[in-house]
Amino acid sequence: MKDQTIPRVLALFGLICVVLIAVAVHAVRNVNRAVAASDWVNATHATVNELANLAASLQAGEGSLRLFAQSADPRDQAACRQAYADTADHLEVLKALTRSDAARHPRVLRLETQALARAGFARQVLKTKVAGQHGEVLAMLAADTGAAELSEVMREIAKLKTEYLDQLAERDRAAYLQAQTTRWTVWTGVGLNFALLAGAAWIMYRDIGFRRQAAAALQQANDQLESRVKVRTAELSAANDQLALENLERRWANQALEHQLRYDHLIIDSISDLVLVVTKAGNISRINPAVSHVTGWDSPALINRPLTELARPAPAPDGRAPLVADPIGRAMQDGRDLRDLPVLLRNRQGGEQAVLLTLFPVRDANKVVGGVITLRSTAPVAHP
Amino acid sequence: MKNKILLVDDEAEIRDLLGQFLQHNGYVVTSVGTAQEAVTHVTAQVPDLVVSDLQLEESDGLEMIGRIKAIAPDTPVLLLTSLLFDQKVITETLSKKVSAYLPKTTPLNRILDEIKRLLA
Repeated sequence: MKDQTIPRVLALFGLICVVLIAVAVHAVRNVNRAVAASDWVNATHATVNELANLAASLQAGEGSLRLFAQSADPRDQAACRQAYADTADHLEVLKALTRSDAARHPRVLRLETQALARAGFARQVLKTKVAGQHGEVLAMLAADTGAAELSEVMREIAKLKTEYLDQLAERDRAAYLQAQTTRWTVWTGVGLNFALLAGAAWIMYRDIGFRRQAAAALQQANDQLESRVKVRTAELSAANDQLALENLERRWANQALEHQLRYDHLIIDSISDLVLVVTKAGNISRINPAVSHVTGWDSPALINRPLTELARPAPAPDGRAPLVADPIGRAMQDGRDLRDLPVLLRNRQGGEQAVLLTLFPVRDANKVVGGVITLRSTAPVAHP
Repeated sequence: MKNKILLVDDEAEIRDLLGQFLQHNGYVVTSVGTAQEAVTHVTAQVPDLVVSDLQLEESDGLEMIGRIKAIAPDTPVLLLTSLLFDQKVITETLSKKVSAYLPKTTPLNRILDEIKRLLA
């Protein structure tokens, strides 16, 4: 069966990586959002501050103008000029801060127009007062309709401030929710990763257990196999030893038989008398070297030939035929020895020699199976 | 300790077969092919048993046995030969010179039994 542990563990670690990446991406994106929001918040706070400062400088300029109209004190004059200079600065800053705010930038421009109008009126009043025309100044102030306009400017400034503060509050709520989401995301990711790690650990623990069991089973099987191999090896070794012994016995028996046979042949071949072995039918089956030496016939020429072709009974001294036609065959059939029978031995050149034949029947299990014949010379070879 | 056997035979195949068999059965075998080698070996180290053929190429086995007996009179000698002796000859002549006689046609296990008996 294919091992599923490694793919499963790898899949779990892959999931862990996916969760980690997802949490990291989410957290980084929220951090980026927070950083971007931080810039916006700072700009918004600056805008709110500038609006407050703008309102304050307008109020200060208006107050200083009226004091100077009464007192003609140069310090009031300077304060008035400073207040409207500040107003101009605040307006420049506000224009810069709201440049990207398409909805509110035109309103700031309107504020600037109105504020600059008030500044222009203030400069005329200051110029008239400095010229010593006090009555004219009072008349200008009495005829001034800009007070209501200033109140409208103040309301617009307050309205803008409120809108920005509402946006900041809304932004705070969104940031809180975002932070909460980030916390939940991180903690959920951490929890999920711990769960996945626990799953991987459990799979590995179970796999190790299976592997230990498998190793124990394998070890047991190996032990059993080794034991069987040892037994079998011992059996084979014993069988091999037995075969080797049997082989030695067989070779020993063969060599002993061959040795004995060779020795027997040596004994027969060493006899100087002529020795022949004949079958029961009277055919020559073996001769010793003395036969070949005396007759000139070699062994192949005589083997399986009738004995009568080599030796025939000698006629009686008076020339009469022998009383028994086949004394050798008769003695073989009777199973008796035949001693010193005069016979004529024929040699290869056709000459004949008178010899004495002695026959010993060969018995095997009390049955005559052939005979051993010895021939002894009695006279010189007669040449034809 | 393993028994030491001196094997004397002029036929190498006999020495080889019988030597292997005896070594397989736990004996330390020294094989020689001549009577002179046998006497030299016995002079250097007396074996526990001598197994010898009767007919050696350059010497007579019984004569060699006499020389060995002069060096190591207590060493038993097993005569292993192709010559078949009459029981009377064995009893009256051979038994005076050798410890035991076996024909070479004797099975190896029977030879081993005789060797064990002689070394017992």
